Amino acid sequence: MSAGALTVATVAPEASPRPGRAVSGLALRQIRRSGLVTAVLAAGMTALVVSTYEQVMADPAAVRGLQALAGNAAIRTLFGEPSGLDTAGGFTVWRIGTVTAVLLAAWSILATTRITRGEEDAGRWDVLLAGRVPLREAVTRHLAVAMIVPVAAGLAIGAVLLAAGTPLAGTAVHSVGTAALGLFFVAAAALAAQVFPARSLATGAAFALLGVGLLARMVGDGVTELGWLRWLSPFGLLALGGPYVHDRALPVAVLIAVTAAVTVAARLAAGHREVRGALVRSRTGRAARLGLLGSVEAFAVRRVLRPLTGWTLGVGAYYLLIGLTAVSVTAFLADNAGLADQAEQAGFASLRSIAGFTATLFAVLAMPAGVFAATRLGAFVAAENDRRLTSLMAQPISRARLIGAETIATAAAATMLVTAAGLAVWAGAATTGGYLPLLAALRGAWNVLPIGLLSLGAAVLAAGWAPRWTGIIGALPSVGGFLLLVIADSIAAPRWLHAISPFDHLAPVPLTTVNWTPTTVMTAAALLLITAGAAGYQRRDLAA
Amino acid sequence: MTVPALRAVQLTKRYGRLTALDELTLDVEPGEVFGFLGPNGAGKSTTIRLLLGLARPNAGRAEVFGVDAADVATAHRSVAYVPADVALWPQLTGAEILHLQARTGAGVDEGYRDELVRRFELDVTKPARTYSTGNRQKVALIAAFATRAPLLVLDEPTSGLDPLMEREFRAAVAQARERGQTVFLSSHHLDEVEAVCDRVGILRAGRLAEVATIGRLRGMHRSEVTVAYPGAAPDLAAVPGVETIEPAGAGRLRFTLTGPPAPVLRALAAAGVTALSVREPSLEEIFLDYYGAEATR
Repeated sequence: MSAGALTVATVAPEASPRPGRAVSGLALRQIRRSGLVTAVLAAGMTALVVSTYEQVMADPAAVRGLQALAGNAAIRTLFGEPSGLDTAGGFTVWRIGTVTAVLLAAWSILATTRITRGEEDAGRWDVLLAGRVPLREAVTRHLAVAMIVPVAAGLAIGAVLLAAGTPLAGTAVHSVGTAALGLFFVAAAALAAQVFPARSLATGAAFALLGVGLLARMVGDGVTELGWLRWLSPFGLLALGGPYVHDRALPVAVLIAVTAAVTVAARLAAGHREVRGALVRSRTGRAARLGLLGSVEAFAVRRVLRPLTGWTLGVGAYYLLIGLTAVSVTAFLADNAGLADQAEQAGFASLRSIAGFTATLFAVLAMPAGVFAATRLGAFVAAENDRRLTSLMAQPISRARLIGAETIATAAAATMLVTAAGLAVWAGAATTGGYLPLLAALRGAWNVLPIGLLSLGAAVLAAGWAPRWTGIIGALPSVGGFLLLVIADSIAAPRWLHAISPFDHLAPVPLTTVNWTPTTVMTAAALLLITAGAAGYQRRDLAA
Repeated sequence: MTVPALRAVQLTKRYGRLTALDELTLDVEPGEVFGFLGPNGAGKSTTIRLLLGLARPNAGRAEVFGVDAADVATAHRSVAYVPADVALWPQLTGAEILHLQARTGAGVDEGYRDELVRRFELDVTKPARTYSTGNRQKVALIAAFATRAPLLVLDEPTSGLDPLMEREFRAAVAQARERGQTVFLSSHHLDEVEAVCDRVGILRAGRLAEVATIGRLRGMHRSEVTVAYPGAAPDLAAVPGVETIEPAGAGRLRFTLTGPPAPVLRALAAAGVTALSVREPSLEEIFLDYYGAEATR
C-alpha cells in the first residue's frame, strides 16, 4: 500500500463527526461580545433601579405621587401600565421593564439578521454551506445560538430581582416574559431573513414589527376600550403578565407558544429556499434611477435617505405620541402639585406646562440623533471595509471631500430627524388643543443638535484614527453622556462627574431659552473633532 | 524627456514586522502595456494600493504622471482602476453604478461605454446584489475602459471571466493601447500577460526580481531545441549554454539552450544536422523558473 493511499484512507474518518457544532461555534463567535454587553446592560439597569426603590419609598409624598400616576391614561401610554408600584419589583418593572425589553428586542433583531442574512449576503455562507451542513440546519443553529442571549438576559434580570428580595412569582413572570420577548424577536428576525432577499429589508421588517408591537401596547394601555390590542403585541403580552400584582402565566405562555410557532416557520422557510435566495424574490431588473448619483455629495445624500426615513418614522411616531399626550399629562400634573414639585426637585423642568414637559422629553432626543450619526459613519467605515468604496476612492476625489460629504449629509439628515421630532410634538399638541407654538417646538428639538453633532464628531474622529470603534465611540457623547448623568444622579456623584456629560449643560428648551455658551462650546468641540478625524482619515491606510 | 506614467522610487511598505514591499523602483512608460507578475503574497496588491494612494508608503515615493500618488484628487484624473475583488453597492443597478463612476470620474466616452456593455454582454438593469463575480468584474472593467484616462491599473481583472469574455478583455486592452493608453496589468493568467504585455515586472517576496520585455525574458531563459542528424550524434556537452541533452528517438536529440545560440549552431553545422526546431519558453515556464527554484529551496 502506498503512502498516498494510506493518507486518503485515514483522513476521511478523522474529519469532525459533528460539523454542526462548528457552525454553532461560528455563530457564537459572532455574537458573544455584543450579546454579553446587552445582557449585562439589561441586568445592570434593572439592578440600578431596584436599588433606588428604598430611597424613593422613604418619602411618603413620593409614594402618593406614584400611586396617583397609575390612573392617568397619558402616563400609561408613555411608560406602560403602572402596577404594583408599592413593591420594589413592580416599581422596577414599570420604570425599566420596557427599556430592557426594547433593548433586548433591538439586539435580537440586529444580531440575528446580521449573522444569518448578512453573512449570506456577503457570500460567506457559500463556503459554509459547501460543507456538510445544509441550509436549514445552519439557520436553525444560528437561531438557537442567538436565543442564548435573551435567555441569559432573562436569567440575569431574574437573579438581580431575587437578590433584591422581590417575590419569586413576580420575578418569574417578568424575567421569563422578558426572555420570551427577546426569543420572539430572534425568531421573527430569522423568519424575516428567510422571507426577504437582503439584510436591510429583513432588519427593517423586523423593526417595523417591533414598532407596531410597541405602539399596539401603548394604545392598548392608554385606551381602555382597545385594551385587547395588547394580546396582539409581544410588549402587550409582557405587560399583561402583570408581574408582582397579577402574576399571570397565560400571556407569557402565549408569547412562548407564538415564539415556538415563528421558530418552526423560520426553519420551514429555510428549507424552501435556495442559498442567497428568499421566499420573496428580489426583482431581477429595473429601470435606472439616476437621481443623486452625480457627485460624491449627492451619492452621500442618496445613501442616507432610506435610513433617515426609517429613523424618522420611529422617532417621529414616539414624539407624536408625546405631543398627543402632552395636554393630558401636564393637566394631570398640574392637578397633583405634590407630584410635579417632586419631579422638579429631581431636576426635571416644570412638568406642569407643555413647554416644560416637552423640554424634558426633547433632551432624550439627543440620543437617537447621536446614535443615528454614529451608525451612519459606522456604515461608511463598513463600506470601506467590504470594499464597496474602493471604486470611489480610485476617482479623482480627495479623501477629505469623501468623508466631508458623508459628514455633511449625516449632519443634515440628523437635523431633519430632529426637526421631524419637533414637528411631530407640535402636531400632536396642536391636535389635542395644547398650547405649543411651532417655533417653540422646533427650538426645543434643535436645542439637542450640539449633542448629536458631538456624536458625529466623535464618530468622524474614530473613522479617522480607530475605524473599528466608530460606532461605539460615536455613540459615547449621546448615549454614554446620558447614562453617565443618570448614574451620577442615582449615586449622588460629585458635581464634576455630572459636568462631563453634555446633557448636564442642556437648557430645558422650550421652557427656557437656549443656553448659548455651552451650545457654542459643544458645537466648536464637535467641529474640532470632525477636523481631527478628517486629518486622520487623510493620512491612514484604507482598508480597501 | 517624457514623464513616466507610473514611477515608484524605493517604495517600501511595512505592516508591523512584515515588509510587504521592499524598496521597489520601477518606471512604466506612457503607452506601454506592463505586466506585473508574482505569486500570492509577493506584494502586487500592496504596490497597487501605494500607487493609487490608498495606502501610504513607509519610505520612498510613488508618482502618477509626475504627480505624487498621495494627491489623489489630481493623480486620479489620469487613472482608471479595476480592483482584484470587485465589490459594488448591492442596491444599485449596473447602469446606476456606471453612471456614478462616470459622473465622479475625469470623463467617459459614453458611446464606447455602451459598446462595451454590449460586447461584455452585461445586463445593466439588474441590481448589483444579483451579480456573479464575473459580472461584478465586467462592471468595473467597462467603467475603466470607457474612461479616457491615460493610465489603466488592472488588478487581476479576468479571474472571474469566461474564455469568451477574456477574449473581449484582450481586445479592449489592444484598443486601449491603440489609443495610447498605458495599461498596468497585474495577473496570474500568464498566457494573457504574454498575449497583451510589452514588458513584465516580476515581483518576489516584496522585491522586484526582474523587469524586461517578454522577448528579452525569453532570451534569458532556456529554449528547448530538437535536432535531427545523420550518422553519429553531435557532441554538444562542451558547448556553452547547452544543458540536459537527451535522445528524442532515432537520429534525434533534444537539449535546452540558454544565452546566444551561435556556438551551438556552429557545432550543429559541423555535424550536418538535417532538421532543427526551437521552442521558446512560455511565460509560465519562465515564471516557474523564478519561483519553482524558490519553492524547492
